[in-house]
Amino acid sequence: MTRADFSDEILMRFADGELDTGTAAEVERAMETDDALVARVALFIETRHAAKAAMEPLLDEPVPSELKRAVERMVMEKTSPPSVSGAGILPFPRRAANESHRSRWLAPVAASLAAVVAGFGGYWLRGSVEAPIEGGLGVAAIGSPALDEALATVAAGEERRLPGSDQRFRAIATFRDNAQALCREFELDSDDRSTVVSVACRAGSEWRVTFAVIAPGATGGYAPASSTETLDAYLTAIDAGAPLEAAEEARALSELQGAQR
Amino acid sequence: MSNAVKDVGERLMAFLPNLRRFAISLCGSRDVADDLVQSACERALASAERFEPGTRFDAWIFRILRNLWIDQVRRQKTAGVQDDITERHDIAGSSGERETEARLTLKTVAEAITELPDEQREVVLLVCVEELSYREAADVMGIPIGTVMSRLMRARRSLAEAAGITQATGRSQSMKGANE
Repeated sequence: MTRADFSDEILMRFADGELDTGTAAEVERAMETDDALVARVALFIETRHAAKAAMEPLLDEPVPSELKRAVERMVMEKTSPPSVSGAGILPFPRRAANESHRSRWLAPVAASLAAVVAGFGGYWLRGSVEAPIEGGLGVAAIGSPALDEALATVAAGEERRLPGSDQRFRAIATFRDNAQALCREFELDSDDRSTVVSVACRAGSEWRVTFAVIAPGATGGYAPASSTETLDAYLTAIDAGAPLEAAEEARALSELQGAQR
Repeated sequence: MSNAVKDVGERLMAFLPNLRRFAISLCGSRDVADDLVQSACERALASAERFEPGTRFDAWIFRILRNLWIDQVRRQKTAGVQDDITERHDIAGSSGERETEARLTLKTVAEAITELPDEQREVVLLVCVEELSYREAADVMGIPIGTVMSRLMRARRSLAEAAGITQATGRSQSMKGANE
């Protein structure tokens, strides 16, 4: 028999689920016939429960809004670019369709962005992003027929106001990813001056947004440099091919149109 | 890179109530605790890269907050304390009107926790309340796992006695037989 051999420490570890299963089974077996042992174990189990219950009300206390806001602000500052008017923001020049991206793609990623969504599921499309997006940023066009249409027709370097919205769509480049899917890099400007820098790739018969950065843009609708640096890192990650030449792009887009019909 | 910051930011926001509870029980004052939580969040965001996904976020941030608190207490001590920030009161909304009858009247568990020595209170918080393992608690506090157990043992005996949780058995508190 092993009874009475259990130290308080063993029993406490038993109560806290810190014993190996073999020893725990021994304790359990001994408890079946030893009330004193049960009482000793109960001390540890009950103090644990009592402590947890006693501290529960603190958890229900609302976090002071001041604290909450302060932390929110901190997170925002860490993940978004400095203010538009601040120094250090250089409007990134509009890129031509056939400008080589290669060198830029190796640029370091700036840590300061309003929101970064990268992934192949395109979940951002469905509005499940949880990052604090101020003022809604007018990203409603993502996933809209107007955007689909623009993605399929607007040549790189051209700009178009999306029908039925106040957003300007700017096609930046067209390329193929490592799976040879046709992808388009584009920007969406809203009246609140935010700019979405985004990549959408063709998945079956639809466009899927695989990357999006929301950044307050400068007047004139250029995304801040930091957002394009992040884009560059993303493009490097998916092993994006060089931008298609205008003729190639036109051919690829018309093939899409053809396939659609 | 910024994904790590974003991830930590989201976790922090979700974990604020727990973090604040831990802070309040460490320093015993809501105002001090809120400042502490804010500093801890700042520190966590600044070193977001160091958080290893797959490890326990709560243990990581508790450790950050606790280290800040210890620094703060040390600084206060060396600076010649003006107002005693470590003075604790009313942790869990208890009335505070408990004086000489303390010996006669059973305390609430919250009061009993408040009155534990600091090092015992935090181990109760981490293990019993926040449900960290002994190992994780040991890491948060930077002490050996055996010390976690001996503090936890003493703390629970005090709680049981003070709050009348169950009949303290009066058995030996010896830690022998420890086989880790």
